[in-house]
Amino acid sequence: MAAGEHSHEGMWVFPAPEAVTQDMAEKAEAMPKAIARALAVTGILFALGIAGFVMRALDDGFGAHGPWGYYAAIFMFLFMVTGAAPLAAVAFRFTKSHWRRPLSRVSELFALLGVLNVIMFIPLMIVLPSIKNPEVGVEELEIRRSIWFETPIGAPLAWDFLGLLFLAICSLAILWLSAMPDMAEGRLTATGFRRKLYSLLAGRWYGTKRQWILHKVGLGLLGAFYFMLLVFVQFTVASDYAMSLVAGWKDSIFPPLFTLTSFQSSLGLILVTLFIMRRWGGYEQYIGVSPFWSASKILLGLTLLWAYHTFAFLITFWYGRLEIEQNVLKYFFFEAYGGAFAANLFFSFILPFLILLWNPVRKTDWGPTLAGLSALCGAFIFNLKTFVGAFNAGDVYAIFFEFIPGPTWPDLWDVFMVVGGLGAAAFIYLAATRLFPILSVWETKEGAKYQKMDTLVRGRYLVLAKPE
Amino acid sequence: MQEGRVLPSRQINADLLRSILNSPKWFWISVAFLAFFVLAAFSTAGFLINRGYGVTGLNNQVLWGFFITNFVFWIGISHAGVMLSAILRLSKAEWRRPATRAAEVLTVFSLMTAMLMPLIHTGRPWRTLYWIYTLPFVPYDFARGIWPNVRSPLVWDPSAVYTYLTSSILFVIIALLPDFAVLRDRTTGLSHRIYSVLAMGWQGNARQWKLQIIAGVLLSALILPVFVSVHSIVSWDFGMAVSIKSWHSTIFAPYFVVGAVHSGVSAVVFVMILLRWAYGWQDYIRLEHIDALGRLLVVVATGWFYFFVMEILFGFYGMESDELAVRNMQFMEQPWNILMFFFVGLTYFLPVGLWLTRSWRRNLWLMSIACISVNIGMWLERFLIFVPAQARKQVFTFNWYTYAPSIVEIMIIVGTFAMVTMLMLLLSRVVPLIPLYDIKEGDILKTQVQIGRRTVPATFRED
Amino acid sequence: MARKPILGLFEDPNYAAEAGDALQRANILPQDYDFLTDAPYPEGAFGERHEKHRLYVFPFIGALIGLTVGIILTSMTQLAYPLTQGGKPILSLPPMAVVTYESTMLSAIIFTIIGILFESRLPKIKKGLYDTRITEGYIGVLVNVDEEQLNQVSGILTQAGAVDVVQET
Repeated sequence: MAAGEHSHEGMWVFPAPEAVTQDMAEKAEAMPKAIARALAVTGILFALGIAGFVMRALDDGFGAHGPWGYYAAIFMFLFMVTGAAPLAAVAFRFTKSHWRRPLSRVSELFALLGVLNVIMFIPLMIVLPSIKNPEVGVEELEIRRSIWFETPIGAPLAWDFLGLLFLAICSLAILWLSAMPDMAEGRLTATGFRRKLYSLLAGRWYGTKRQWILHKVGLGLLGAFYFMLLVFVQFTVASDYAMSLVAGWKDSIFPPLFTLTSFQSSLGLILVTLFIMRRWGGYEQYIGVSPFWSASKILLGLTLLWAYHTFAFLITFWYGRLEIEQNVLKYFFFEAYGGAFAANLFFSFILPFLILLWNPVRKTDWGPTLAGLSALCGAFIFNLKTFVGAFNAGDVYAIFFEFIPGPTWPDLWDVFMVVGGLGAAAFIYLAATRLFPILSVWETKEGAKYQKMDTLVRGRYLVLAKPE
Repeated sequence: MQEGRVLPSRQINADLLRSILNSPKWFWISVAFLAFFVLAAFSTAGFLINRGYGVTGLNNQVLWGFFITNFVFWIGISHAGVMLSAILRLSKAEWRRPATRAAEVLTVFSLMTAMLMPLIHTGRPWRTLYWIYTLPFVPYDFARGIWPNVRSPLVWDPSAVYTYLTSSILFVIIALLPDFAVLRDRTTGLSHRIYSVLAMGWQGNARQWKLQIIAGVLLSALILPVFVSVHSIVSWDFGMAVSIKSWHSTIFAPYFVVGAVHSGVSAVVFVMILLRWAYGWQDYIRLEHIDALGRLLVVVATGWFYFFVMEILFGFYGMESDELAVRNMQFMEQPWNILMFFFVGLTYFLPVGLWLTRSWRRNLWLMSIACISVNIGMWLERFLIFVPAQARKQVFTFNWYTYAPSIVEIMIIVGTFAMVTMLMLLLSRVVPLIPLYDIKEGDILKTQVQIGRRTVPATFRED
Repeated sequence: MARKPILGLFEDPNYAAEAGDALQRANILPQDYDFLTDAPYPEGAFGERHEKHRLYVFPFIGALIGLTVGIILTSMTQLAYPLTQGGKPILSLPPMAVVTYESTMLSAIIFTIIGILFESRLPKIKKGLYDTRITEGYIGVLVNVDEEQLNQVSGILTQAGAVDVVQET
C-alpha cells in the first residue's frame, strides 16, 4: 500500500454510483425484524404517552400551568432537537462539505417531526397564563414581563403557533425538495404504494439542467429561511415558556443558549442515528468515519460554546448579586435544581469535552457518537430543569421571584408523557425510514464524482474537488 | 475555489519579498506621514498627563469616553487574526492562505495599541509600572500588602489581554520561521545575520515541516479559546457593573465577541485590499479570496445582528425606568439617535447589502467601502453602549449629563489609527505579510478532477 | 569512521523521490537521509520515513502547571488582601476561574511553543550542509554516510536526476 493510503482506511468510502439507487430502494422496502420490534416498542411508548396526557388532563385540567411542566419539558426537548436537526443538512450543504453527504437525509427526515411538534404545542397554548393579569393582587404587575410587552395581536400564542407551523412547513419543503430526485428514481424502482407516493411527490422531475439549478437555489433559499425562522421561533417559544413565567428573570443570553443547546444536541442525535445505520443498518459502504471525524470538531466547538455561554450567564448573575439574580441562581442552578444542573453540566460539557479532546477518539465512529449521546442527555436535562422549574416558579405576575420553591418531581403521568413523547418521535422517524431512502441518493452519486484517491509524487491521498 | 495559477517558487519569493528587498518609493513618505500623527498623539498624551483630565471632555458622570471606546475597538480588531487564521486553518479552508499572516500581525499591533488606551486613561500611567517593577526587589504596592483584587474585572482584563498578546506574538514568530529562512537565503551582510538568527537554523526537512503544520493547527486550537475569552472579559468590565443600567446584561460576552470578529475580519479584508494594491499582489490576494471573506462576513454580520437585537430587546424587557431612560437617550434624543441610526446602517444594512451580490463582493472599491463602513459602525456601537449608560446612571434627572470629546481625545484617537497603519507598514518592510510557504503548499496541493468536459479544481488532502 | 553529509538538488519532486528509492535500494537507512523543501509536502510524499513526535504532551504539561499556578496565585492573592466586595466571599470561585483559565492557556501555549522548537530540533546552531537553492523550489536530498560511500551516493543522486550534488568543502 502506498504512503498515505493507510490513513484513509475506513475514513472515506467511495460508493459505486451505479448500485446506490437499487440498494437504497431495497433497503427502504425491507422490514428487518429489528425495525419491526423497534416500531412496536416505540408504538407502545407512544400509546403510554397519550394515556399519560389524558390522565393528566382528567386529573388537573388545563386551568393551571404548573402540572404541565413535564409535558412542556418534553415538548421543548423534542422541538429543540428535531427542529434543529434539519439544519445540519442545510448548513453543511452551504459550506460544500463533502463529508455531509451521508448525513443529509438523516438530518432532513427529522422534518417530519415538525408536525408532532405543532400538535404537541396545542395543549401548551391552552395552559399558558395570559400576559395581562386577570386579577391584579397586592404587589403584582398588571402585565407580566414578556418579549411581547403590550401584547400585539394574538401574542404570544398565535405568533408562537404560527412560527412552529411555518417551521414545520418549511422543513417539510426542504425534505420534499431534497428528496425529489431520489423519489423520481424511486418511481421506476419502487413497488406498491411507495411507487404511487413517489410518483405523486416527484412531480415532473426529470433531472434537466434547469431543474438541478432550481433545485440547488431552492434548497439554498429554503435553508437560509429555515435557519432564520428557527432561531426566531426558538427565541419566542423558549422565552414565553421559561423566562416570562419566572417573575423578574431577565436574561438576554437565554435564547442564544437554548439555540446553542439545540445545535449541539441535534448534531449529537444525527451522529447517534448515523452510528446505528453504520453499525447495524448495513450502511457501512456508504458511511465512512469521515462524517464522524468532521462533525466531531464541530461538536467540540459547540460543546465549548455551550460552556462559555453558560459561564457568561452564571458570572453575570453571580457578580450582580441582585436578589432576583441570586434567587434564579439558587432555584435553577444551585439549590432546588442544583442536582439537575450538575448533571446538565456533566452531560452537555464535561463528558463530551473529555471524549472529544482526544484526536484518536475523534477519528472513530464511536467516540463522537458517545459525545453526541451525552450532549443529547444533557439537552434533555436542560429542558427538564428549565421548563419544569419555570412552570412551577410561583406567581407569574409577581414583581420578582421572591420565594424559592423546592424541585417538582414527576408523577406517573409525567413519566408516561415524557417516555411517550420520546417514543412518539422515535416511532415517526422509524416509520419515515420505511418510506424514504435514508441516504440521499443524488448527493451520494454527486459526491462520487468529486472525491477520489490520487497520487502525489509517491503518496496516495484523498482528492476533494469543489465546483465553483 | 482555486482560480489562481500555480507559480514557481522563485517567482513567489520575488513577488512576496518585494516589500522587503525592494521597498517602493512611496514607503518612507507614507511612514513619515503616519509618524507625524503618531508623534502628535503622543505629544497630546504628554500634554494630557501634564495638565490633567480637565483637558478632556470627560466629566463626573461620563468617566469612560473616547479612550475606553477606542480601547474596546482595537481589542475588537485584534480578533481578526485568530478568527481568520485559526478557524480557517482548523477547517482547512484553502482560501485562508494569503490572509493569515496579515491578520495575525494586525492582531498583535491592534492589541498593543489597545493597551495604550487604558494606560493613558489612568491619567498617571507610571503608576502601572508599580504593578510589575519597583526598586529594590518588590513591586511598590505589594510591599505594602496591597494585591491586585482578583474579584475585579479590571484585573481579569490585563490577564486576558496579555495572554492573548503573548500567544499571538509567539504564534506569528513560529509561523515565520520558514519565511525567515527564505529571507536568510536572499540577504547579505547584517540583514543576513539577523535573519539567520531569527530562522534558528531552519532547513525545511520533513520533521520540521511536520511540526510546523501540527503547530499551526495545535496553536490555533489553543488560541481560539483565548481569543473568545479576551473580548468576553473586556465586555465584563462593563457587564459586571450593576449600577450602570444597560451594561449588566448576560449576553454582553458573546455579543462583544461576535462584534469584534465582525469588525476585525472587515479590517483584515481592507488591509488585504490595500496590500494587493500597494505591492501588486494580484496573483496572491485574488478576487476569490475577497469573495469568500465577503460571504463569511455575511454570516458573521447576521450573527452579530441577532445578538444586537437580543441585547436591545432584553434592555426593554425588564421595563425598568432607569434602563428605559438610557434606551430613550440612545433611540430618541439627538444626536444619539442619529448616531444610532448610522451605527446600525453602517454596521449591518449597508455592508451586508453590498456583500449579497457576487459581483459586488468582487468589486474592491465596494468591498473597501463595506469594510470601512463596518468599522465606523462598530466604533460607534461601543461609543453608544458606553456613554449614554453613564450619562443616565443617576436616578435623579438633575444628575443626568452628556459628553462631547475634546480635541485632545480626538488627536489621540486619530494617532492610534495612524500607529497601527504605520506599524503594519514598517513590519511589511522586514517580514512578508503573506506567508510564502503557505502559498507554495497551496500550489503543491492543487490538482484537478475531470467530470465530463469540465475540469473542476481540487485539492489533495492528508485526511 | 567519520560520517559526512552530501546534498543532491532536484528540480522535479519525482526525481527526488526516485533518489530516495535508489538510496533505499543501496541499503542506506531511512534515518540517514532527509528531504529538504521550501514548502510542506504531505507526509509520505517522497516515501520518506514516518516522523514520530510527542508534541501533544507539552500543552498538557503546560496546562497543568498553569492551572496550578493560577489556583495558587488567585487564592493566595485573595487571602493576602481580604477585601470584602459587594457581599462576595473572600475566596470567590468565578473570578478565580477567569484568571486561572488565562494562566492555564498561557502556560499551555508557551509549553507548546517550547515543544515545537524542541521537537523540530531548533534552534540549530550549526546548520550543516545546505544550499540556498532549496528556498527557490529545489528539493534537497541530504544524505549522511560514511566517508567512503560519498562517491557511491553522489552517483546515485546524479543518476536519479540531481541538477547538482554538493559536498562539504
